[in-house]
Amino acid sequence: MGYEWDFAVVFRNSDLLLLGLVNTLKVTGLALLFGVPLGLLLALLRLYGNRAVRLPVGFVIEFLRTTPPIAQLFWFFFAMPILIGVEIDPFRASVLTFSLQSSAFFAEVFRGGIQSIDSGQWEAAKAIGMNRNQTLGRIILPQAVKRMIPAFLERAIELMKTTTLVSTISYADLLYQANSIAQSTYRTIEVFTVAAAMYFVVILACSIAVRRLEIRLARSGETIVN
Amino acid sequence: MKEVLRIEGLHKSFAELEVLKGIDLSVDKGETVVLLGASGSGKSTLLRCVNFMEIPTSGRIHLEGKAIGSARNGRIAYGERELTQLRSRVGMVFQHFNLFPHMTALENVMEGPRTVLKCDASECRRRGEKYLDKVGLGWKADAYPAQLSGGQQQRIAIARALAMEPEIMLFDEATSALDPELVGEVLETMKELAEEGMTMLIVTHELGFAYTVADKVLFLSEGSILEQGTPAEVLTYPRQDATKNFLRGHNMFRLPEPQID
Amino acid sequence: MDHNWDFASVLANKTLLLIGLQNTLILGSVCLVLGLFFGLFVGAARFSRKSWLYYPATAFVELFRNTPVLVQIMWFFFAFPIIAPFRIDAFTAATLGLTLNTVAFSSEIYRAGLQSIHKGQWEAGKALGMSYWQQMRRVVLPQAVRRMLPAFMNRAVELFKMTSLASVIAYGELMYQAKVVSTISFNPIEMYTSVALIFFLVLFPATILVRRFEARDTFER
Repeated sequence: MGYEWDFAVVFRNSDLLLLGLVNTLKVTGLALLFGVPLGLLLALLRLYGNRAVRLPVGFVIEFLRTTPPIAQLFWFFFAMPILIGVEIDPFRASVLTFSLQSSAFFAEVFRGGIQSIDSGQWEAAKAIGMNRNQTLGRIILPQAVKRMIPAFLERAIELMKTTTLVSTISYADLLYQANSIAQSTYRTIEVFTVAAAMYFVVILACSIAVRRLEIRLARSGETIVN
Repeated sequence: MKEVLRIEGLHKSFAELEVLKGIDLSVDKGETVVLLGASGSGKSTLLRCVNFMEIPTSGRIHLEGKAIGSARNGRIAYGERELTQLRSRVGMVFQHFNLFPHMTALENVMEGPRTVLKCDASECRRRGEKYLDKVGLGWKADAYPAQLSGGQQQRIAIARALAMEPEIMLFDEATSALDPELVGEVLETMKELAEEGMTMLIVTHELGFAYTVADKVLFLSEGSILEQGTPAEVLTYPRQDATKNFLRGHNMFRLPEPQID
Repeated sequence: MDHNWDFASVLANKTLLLIGLQNTLILGSVCLVLGLFFGLFVGAARFSRKSWLYYPATAFVELFRNTPVLVQIMWFFFAFPIIAPFRIDAFTAATLGLTLNTVAFSSEIYRAGLQSIHKGQWEAGKALGMSYWQQMRRVVLPQAVRRMLPAFMNRAVELFKMTSLASVIAYGELMYQAKVVSTISFNPIEMYTSVALIFFLVLFPATILVRRFEARDTFER
């Protein structure tokens, strides 16, 4: 029991940890920025594409959802550069991997949301002469998106947790910074505990915000899609 | 009288099941035609074929004297654009209203003119307000569907269809989903439309309404028109047994038999 | 640009990969069984009205649900041994991290499942003179477990994907074996493609099964 805790080292390196947190948020934000529109596109192709499109798109979505993200990350970082003959830095590989990975999950959120809209809405729009794109854009998606918001944000939180993987290809996110500080100061337990606490604070804040929103949406009569 | 709608030899099958077995029907301008029939008789399917919510298996539909679709080696092909265009000229009111819940009453009514007819903002607004007033709900313009009663929602749905200024209006059991005390306001709105000369094709179970408002009543049974004529002919002196049985099931037309314990 | 796909080098190392797959399955199964078992108690505690049960359970669940699992594994591998009175190898650290994570997530599934059972069921059990655990075991759980099944299977798929994180602390599961082999035989493309394919082949049937269950459930409702 003789361990003497010393958090001073951690605070001396707090700027490095904060920089790591910023990088974590950066990768998460960019992956969302690319992943969400791509997810919508994949969902629409899977729902309304012809057979030749639906099947491959479905396969890609399922593949990205059922393979470990670390295998995907390593593939894009170590394997793809050999295949296409272009070097890729850890940051780009991370953004690429997590944009694609999250797009597959977002595609399923979009699909669930779109399919949850009552078929009467399609009929009503059809009856006043709207075509499919008009119906999707003006009637279906506005309603679906509102229902999807909680599932969406939950997915974004999952994404933030998954981005810790980028530390394994030496991108300086929060976990990577913690690891390197721990190695140079030998204050492993303090550094890792503080890093975990930082993740906890940020993610818990997001989770609580999502739950609040969920309750508010449920009260305004919108059901929630998982 | 000018003919607005003509249906010739209309058949519709779902997989093995033949729902419509050759329907011929003509509706003149300003005419109100009521379709009666037991559930499963095909009356809703007939209505839904008129604006091609269902694509007919065979037969032809003419709107304002022009045949829809083009015949190609024995079959009739329908272009998606042609059908959307047709639907913008045919109004439809659904059993479950199907208002757009994320739009206010006014936005619901303006949606068609805006998105489909590409009217400019002032014309959209003019139509929106005009038809909301017409169904007596101008004062609810900013309410969302969830804040309105079923009867009010259905009247908004009628206004939404009217805002397209259609050549014919279709009503698919427009009062069936309403609480009894709300049925009257919707029927009243429909009656006013009929009196103003709107051409209407109506599927309903409200025999009283059919009797007082319809110009022509058709009785469908098992996918065919069994009987047709004026309300008095069909409702008061039905000739077919199926029609008689159907009418006997609706107590509006008979007094309850005395009960003996 | 033109890459010669060389899957022969993958096949040549198939023993190493099979050992990896075996370790993946062992790690995943151990964590799944332990996680689901302890998850029930934490879930029941979260369901309880006794505050000395509810608050610690809630704190535990929030802590493990709201931190990245890789951080949990790294913490147990690098930090925990310093204060732990015993040695911790990679397998133990990975098992601790993944199990506690699974406990936290599955307890939420139990809780939601228990909440979905109508209060009248508890009361009927109580009226027959059953104790709390008898009501739970004989009446409520059998009904709730069926509803929870798809969520548990989803969780299991997630868990097996997460076992690949143990490669970071050099536990010899599939991902780690692939990493080692690819640095020796210079075939990262074939290696990582194979790993992804193996995971897909193992887990995809499970996701299809889940969807079957979900479809059946919505049908019954």
